Amino acid sequence: MNPDLIPALDAAGLPGPPWLFHVLLVFTFFLHLIFMNLTLGGTLMAFVANLRGRGQSGDPDAVLAKRLMGVNTYAISLAITTGVAPLLFVQVLYQQFFYSGTILLGWIWFGMLVLLMIGYYAAYLHKRFRGGWLGVSAVCFFAIAMTHVAVHLIHVQPAKWPQFNMSAMSVLADPTYWPRLIHFVLAAVTFAALVAAWWAVRRARAGVDVDLNTAIAQSTWRWAYLATVLQLVDGFLLTAVLPKPVLLGVMRGGIETLGPLSLSILLAIGLLVMLERGGPNPVMKPGLVSGVLATLLLTIAVMSVTRHQVRVLYLEPATSKFTATIVPQWGNFILFALLLVIGLATVFWMVRRVLTSPAEGDEAA
Amino acid sequence: MDYPIWSSGLSGGVLMAWVAITHVIVSHFAIGGGLIIVVSETLAVKRADREMRELARRASLVLILVSTVFGAISGVGIWVVAGLISPGAISALIHNYVWGWAIEWVFFVLEIVAALVYYTTWDKISKGAHLLVGWLYFIGAYMSLVVINGIITFMLTPGRWLETHAFWDGFFNPTYWPSLVLRTGIVILMAVAFMLWSAYKASPGRRPDLVRYLGWWFLGGALLSYAGYRWWEVALPDTVTALFLGETPTLAGLAATRSFTLWSLAIGLAVCVLALLLAPRAARGITAIVLMAAAFGFFGGYERLREGTRKPFLIHSHLFSNGLLVSQIDEINRVGISAHSGWVALGDPSPEALGARIFAAECSSCHTLDGYQSIRGVLPTVADMERVAADEPAGTGVVHYLEQCSSCHIDIAYEDMAEMLPTVDEIREDPDFIRELNLGMITMTMMELKEMGEAYADFDPHEVFDMRTLRRSTMPPFVGTDDEAETLAIYLASLDDPQRETTGGAR
Repeated sequence: MNPDLIPALDAAGLPGPPWLFHVLLVFTFFLHLIFMNLTLGGTLMAFVANLRGRGQSGDPDAVLAKRLMGVNTYAISLAITTGVAPLLFVQVLYQQFFYSGTILLGWIWFGMLVLLMIGYYAAYLHKRFRGGWLGVSAVCFFAIAMTHVAVHLIHVQPAKWPQFNMSAMSVLADPTYWPRLIHFVLAAVTFAALVAAWWAVRRARAGVDVDLNTAIAQSTWRWAYLATVLQLVDGFLLTAVLPKPVLLGVMRGGIETLGPLSLSILLAIGLLVMLERGGPNPVMKPGLVSGVLATLLLTIAVMSVTRHQVRVLYLEPATSKFTATIVPQWGNFILFALLLVIGLATVFWMVRRVLTSPAEGDEAA
Repeated sequence: MDYPIWSSGLSGGVLMAWVAITHVIVSHFAIGGGLIIVVSETLAVKRADREMRELARRASLVLILVSTVFGAISGVGIWVVAGLISPGAISALIHNYVWGWAIEWVFFVLEIVAALVYYTTWDKISKGAHLLVGWLYFIGAYMSLVVINGIITFMLTPGRWLETHAFWDGFFNPTYWPSLVLRTGIVILMAVAFMLWSAYKASPGRRPDLVRYLGWWFLGGALLSYAGYRWWEVALPDTVTALFLGETPTLAGLAATRSFTLWSLAIGLAVCVLALLLAPRAARGITAIVLMAAAFGFFGGYERLREGTRKPFLIHSHLFSNGLLVSQIDEINRVGISAHSGWVALGDPSPEALGARIFAAECSSCHTLDGYQSIRGVLPTVADMERVAADEPAGTGVVHYLEQCSSCHIDIAYEDMAEMLPTVDEIREDPDFIRELNLGMITMTMMELKEMGEAYADFDPHEVFDMRTLRRSTMPPFVGTDDEAETLAIYLASLDDPQRETTGGAR
């Protein structure tokens, strides 16, 4: 560890207690993950399904690809929107490490913006012109995932900054890089597959294109099952290759760290069991499908906590050398919290009003 | 200044300008577009006006395609670039205004969700529900401006915040309200400039009506912008306005920018009255292009003035654009920049290499080696001295002297300098001697910049610093020990050595 390379804490101090920012960071990151999973997992799945369906209308794979990219019209925008908040809070809590990590990546980090732009507009172009645009979009989103994993691993390991300063690409040789990347990609695929399955089951149960929706539900269920099996393997691998002090920190952290980790492992196993029980035709078990989706959301929420705790443990040797001044702005926080509640309630109310106000012809807007 | 140094090969300022300019154009359009689109739809519903509805509908496609992703990504892009080029500076802003940004994010979420719903529910939901979504979109978008305006204006006129460091003192700073009025006008100008293209697609019979309708909007936006701009100038401290106003403005370039800004608005206003209001049938694509150029010119000019008058600060009188706090000057001068930043100390300790890292840490947020704000371009070189001394063809020596040398040698006339200089043959015979001379001059400049830091440090930190008292009013001071100032000078002087490959410190 070279403490001299770690920049000083910001002189302005923290505008609230650290725990508050930890909670906000994890909560908003969880919100971001929901839409990020749909974007990344949905686009990767749509790419494969589109190849398999060969663009034939009525083919379950082609319809699945179209649906996933239809959802992505919203999901990409919302992934970016919800990504703003964790990006804000990580800068408050970990500015010394986060900025250093991004600077060491340099153009690659900046390139994420370009990839995001290309990925989004390629998704739109795919909807209009088909062709290879879906592949472009999938490659861009995958590359963004790679960038995020890289910046995460660089920022949490200040002891390796001189090495990353020589070559940022050496992060690809970090033992945890690929298991961590695969972990996120598999989670994204599982989530997107289950959302697609849930939607197809609802449509099939409502009697809409029953054969087609049943085929889609069966196919996406298999995607989710396979991805979860691989996730369990990868999850254990990722745990095993964590640096020893971090792993020991998790193991010795008592209920605070072992609780979320154990719960997420149990939830993942439970998820696998439920997916198995869904059998070849999940349309017959709509309650189970909803239950699996809810369980996956809970797993993602708990894993967000564990991920954050692992970051804290990675950084512990460095952060313990600094003591932040706390200059709370409680009034402003309360204003933010109130506006957040009002804002989310307004969004909910607006969506509800829209869903309950269908109209056609001259009556429609 | 204690962060790693990003050697991108580009000017950080230029990169930031590209991202920020695209963002402000798109984001202001998104706000103004939201207003005019939803007002248009409201009128269309009340009057059962099909063409007006189509105007709103067509424009909403641009709104969704441009604002929900391009606006969002470029907004994040400002943080990304700021984190890469001035991490200390953006960190200071975020630590003071995190709750402001968090509140803006809430409105941003409302804005984006409403935009997505608005565009995708044409022909699918009731008119009332659709209008509700449209108005919620506008409220979300405009409230984002209301919040971010507080942070942007704080950077130039922190006002009482310098004394209290209280969030709301900085937020409702002296230029908050004028700037809000000004930007409210600008969002309308930007939106009309874009929406004219949608109006042109209307049926020939209705097209003039819609063009004139947008003309009234543009007129209102222009008047509001002008009022806001004038109010903004009045609200600025005298120490700031003196930089670009009056008979002898401190920064002549900014005075020219001010003229450009106001002339752009005047041209926009004239075209609006003539082509949109008086002769809407004559309005063509070129009209929209001219109005767009005028709106961009006015907006860009104002932003340039705002940024230019703030130089060299990020937060006026508190934090320099390279991340140096005014309160850190004495301490870094005492311990040295190498002790302050491990990244400066890390690596080859030779003077040229260490100097390159000092340059990167202290200067490269504004200067590149050879690109924008090229440092090599302003340093004295053997070639400069040859051209001044040779004066061939006659008259070029004085021109070159005025262009290249007189900004430092302000009190030496060309003729006097020519007498002091060695002859061309002497220069060619012993260029190293000239380089020694240049090193001496650069070292003196470094020391002068260091002394400037002492002037900053001695100033009352609760007051707005009067930049007129400084000779180099757009430069942050040099901070570090005298040895480090000399080390930086050695590196800078080495940039004129053709034998030496100099790439370090480029940004």
